Amino acid sequence: MRPDTWPMFLDPAIWGFLFEGLRETIYIALASVAVSFPVGLLFALGRLSRRRWIRWPSILYVEGVRALPVLLLIAYFGIKGSALFRPIFGEDFELPRFWAGVLGLSMYTSAVLAEIIRAGIVSLPRGQTEAARALGLSHTQTMRTVILPQALRLMVPAMMAQLTTVIKDTSLVGTIGIFELLRQGRTIYTQFFNPVEVLLIVATIYFVICFALSQASRRFELGYAPRAARLKIEDIALRDQAA
Amino acid sequence: MPGGIAFEFPQLYLTGLWLTIQISVLGLFGALLLGTLVAVLRVSPIAPLRWIGAAYVEFFRNTPLVVLLFFLFLGLPLIGLRFSTDTFENIFRAAAVGMGLYHGAYVAEVVRGGLLGVDRGQIEAARSLGLSYAQMLRYVQLPQTFRSVIPPLGNIGIALVKNTSLASTIGVAELLYAAEIVESRTFRAEEAFIAATLLYLALTIPLGIAVNALERRMLVAR
Repeated sequence: MRPDTWPMFLDPAIWGFLFEGLRETIYIALASVAVSFPVGLLFALGRLSRRRWIRWPSILYVEGVRALPVLLLIAYFGIKGSALFRPIFGEDFELPRFWAGVLGLSMYTSAVLAEIIRAGIVSLPRGQTEAARALGLSHTQTMRTVILPQALRLMVPAMMAQLTTVIKDTSLVGTIGIFELLRQGRTIYTQFFNPVEVLLIVATIYFVICFALSQASRRFELGYAPRAARLKIEDIALRDQAA
Repeated sequence: MPGGIAFEFPQLYLTGLWLTIQISVLGLFGALLLGTLVAVLRVSPIAPLRWIGAAYVEFFRNTPLVVLLFFLFLGLPLIGLRFSTDTFENIFRAAAVGMGLYHGAYVAEVVRGGLLGVDRGQIEAARSLGLSYAQMLRYVQLPQTFRSVIPPLGNIGIALVKNTSLASTIGVAELLYAAEIVESRTFRAEEAFIAATLLYLALTIPLGIAVNALERRMLVAR
């Protein structure tokens, strides 16, 4: 057995190092959600569109991306991210690692959010659309002023729950060289050879954040979500709980 | 042909696919067993057992799987627990155990929902007929649960197959690992990853179809 290394965690420098990682984790999670929400909304609307050339590509994107492992997307953008943007930004463009990670995470999260938002829209009673159309609102106006405000409000808890999944998934971007929480922890234990202590601390930090968020998401029930929508969202949540 | 690169490196992709299948099957088996057990704990009449079940579910649902995998493969040997003396066997078993532990928490939530969905009158009737709590679980409550939980368990199974890709982070040469090696040898990232993607789909799509078929069978049986 090797000596106990718990006393070294009295040193604030170790905590500073871990919190640098935590900051990166939170930035990546927030950036990913910020990118994937509009994209997800777009694909949700695309999937509900009456035009076939919009609907089919949307279905293909959402179902295709959800079938992939997140780590595969992250690894792909980690390797090819820069090359993908070179035709746009010039020959010597280097995609920052941070954004490669965000891209991988958001591609996946946007597909999941698209399904969550679609579940919210579909679950609203048909009478809402019919009434709005009967009052003379166009399809776009109906969506923007009647359907979306209600649907999105219903979906707030599900989206917050998705944020916990995103935070857990950020632990994967360490593999492409982003210094998030787990990666910082790994640096510490390769120095001091104490993975047990470090991993327990890292796991606790993730747990506290994710547990608090998932508890909070239950308090944010704005309005009553129909049973069908709840079931659909449970389904999505189960299938898309990645690491 | 998309994925044709797999035929140039058949050895890598085949071993990768085989390891992915093995980890998925072992992990799923472990998750189902553990999840059912924890679900029974969570609905048991004894409060401390319920707390243990709840603590297990909340802990594993709210920590990343990679952290668990690193702990199983690096942490445990240091406190004297090792799955195998052989290094490769050790990481393989760590991955399978990690899959089981992590997804067990999700299975437990689903099975608990199923158990609570059984009409209370049935439980009371079974108990008043003289069945012990264990007998009631075995003959009345659990059998009725299996029907309602099959579709959500199928979703967990699909998630589990996708999550086996995380085993590559601890060095198991499964599908994603194979794709990364092929990429580093050929620099043909798209082809290498598309081949892996198609193989993942070859696992998850039949799983989805099987679950749907099973669901329909169960509905007819009712």
